[in-house]
Amino acid sequence: MSWFFDPIGYEFMQRALIAGIAVSAVCAVIGVFIVQRGLAFLGDGLAHAAFGGIAIGLFMGASVENAVWIAIPFTACIALGIGFVLRRTQLRGDVATGVFFSFSFALGVLFLGLRTASDRQVGVESLLFGNMLFVTPSVLKVVVIVSIVTLVLTALLWSRLAYTIFDPELAAISGVPVAVLEYVLLVETAVVVVVAVKTVGVVLVSSFVVIPAATARLLGSTLPRATLLALVIGTLGSVIGLFASFHLKTPTAATIILIHSAAFAGALLWARIKR
Amino acid sequence: MSDPHASLPPGQVSVERRQSATSLSQTRPDASLPHVLDVESVAVTIKGKKIVSDISFWIPKGEFVCLCGPNGAGKSTLLKAILGLLPISAGRISIGGEAVIAGDHKIGYVPQRKGFDRDFPARAVDLIVAALRGTWPVRIREAERERARAALKRIGGERLLDKPLAGLSGGETQRVFLARALINDPSLIVLDEPTAGVDAKGRGELLELMTSISRSEELAAILVTHNLAAVAQTAERIVYIEAGKLLCWGLPDELLGQSSLTALAFQARDHHAHAPDDE
Repeated sequence: MSWFFDPIGYEFMQRALIAGIAVSAVCAVIGVFIVQRGLAFLGDGLAHAAFGGIAIGLFMGASVENAVWIAIPFTACIALGIGFVLRRTQLRGDVATGVFFSFSFALGVLFLGLRTASDRQVGVESLLFGNMLFVTPSVLKVVVIVSIVTLVLTALLWSRLAYTIFDPELAAISGVPVAVLEYVLLVETAVVVVVAVKTVGVVLVSSFVVIPAATARLLGSTLPRATLLALVIGTLGSVIGLFASFHLKTPTAATIILIHSAAFAGALLWARIKR
Repeated sequence: MSDPHASLPPGQVSVERRQSATSLSQTRPDASLPHVLDVESVAVTIKGKKIVSDISFWIPKGEFVCLCGPNGAGKSTLLKAILGLLPISAGRISIGGEAVIAGDHKIGYVPQRKGFDRDFPARAVDLIVAALRGTWPVRIREAERERARAALKRIGGERLLDKPLAGLSGGETQRVFLARALINDPSLIVLDEPTAGVDAKGRGELLELMTSISRSEELAAILVTHNLAAVAQTAERIVYIEAGKLLCWGLPDELLGQSSLTALAFQARDHHAHAPDDE
């Protein structure tokens, strides 16, 4: 068991393990609804919006850690904008997301460019790719609190959200507040993505939302089962990936995503054999 | 046949056409029968545009009514207003004398087959219990399962209970939706083009099933369809709307012979009635 106990003796690995489990769990559970709603691109779009929000925060003089408090409301507004376009126009989800994605990423680049040489130095690479091993105690606290609150809220709304995703019209006839729930799901996703960006980076965060959910969708015959499977695949993949990256000396988030991808390939094969 | 509306702006019915419609014999339901659905001087306005105006009709207990009209006549808008999905800007819609409120289970609704997410991982029992609870079930209790089984038994589909929705044929899917619509013992059943996407054999069986349930259980039903054969097979009365207004409301024998009506309502989409499988 030294492969487990040796790394876990380090404080940074303990923090990375907790952050990895929290981010994977919450991304996987929300991901089930996002994937089923046909908005797989949303995670990517909101991650780029988070980049824009962080850049605005940095321009306003905040540190990278504190810029998250600017990024959360900014990304939530972008998510609401995507929701508004989805509900009020005939445009598809990928088009609406693509427009807001480009706008907020361009805004991010613009605000980073407006900073002067005397401003605090920022590692853009760490923003884009993140590093789970460098999660500070204060960031960890935010990640855990946001994950728990989001998981509890999603669990409370699960049955209504599921009905809304299945058929908004039937759900509305049954008295489900469809519009409110769709906006709640988008804002939840925005908050989770901003927090996850702090640990896994802008570029990789959407994989945490999409891959475990898509894998579970291939294996689960009902939505509750798919949700449970996504949770297990997401968290287990994170734990395995974290320890594998420690021993193989590879980038953590990328290793986790490759483990998730391997699970997806296995599920795809299993689904084909079963058919 | 030429379109008698060709020279009119959208949303208007010509004076001649109105006069010709009013000259038709139109037998209304017996006033002494108990009312299930009352639509009284209803208007629906969307984004400032009046889609439906001054429509009045009612459906007595056990009557099977077909709501017909050409594309863009306002049928779907009226249907959504009846279901409580769209607010009405004037008039009143009531079921058994009470205003319609979403979630009160007085209306059973069978949507078009294309309406729901076919990739959604769900079984027939999940869908039926969702209508019973008003939320999607995480775990199904034995009593709920038995009620779902009983609802499927009513439509001859008991074997479908645990089948995944994605694997069902068009006819089987609509049977499940019919069971779902019946689970709360509604006063009115609303059928929105339920046979679209169902093969010819399944279509005939489904229509037969719907009319027999309506008759045997004295359940009022309203069917929206572009399928002339479906109207001929099911309708006890026809409500015909055009350009958002009620043009005729009478017996099938009185209205189906009027080529000026049937041509507009059925000509464009009548291939549904003849195609072996219009999926």
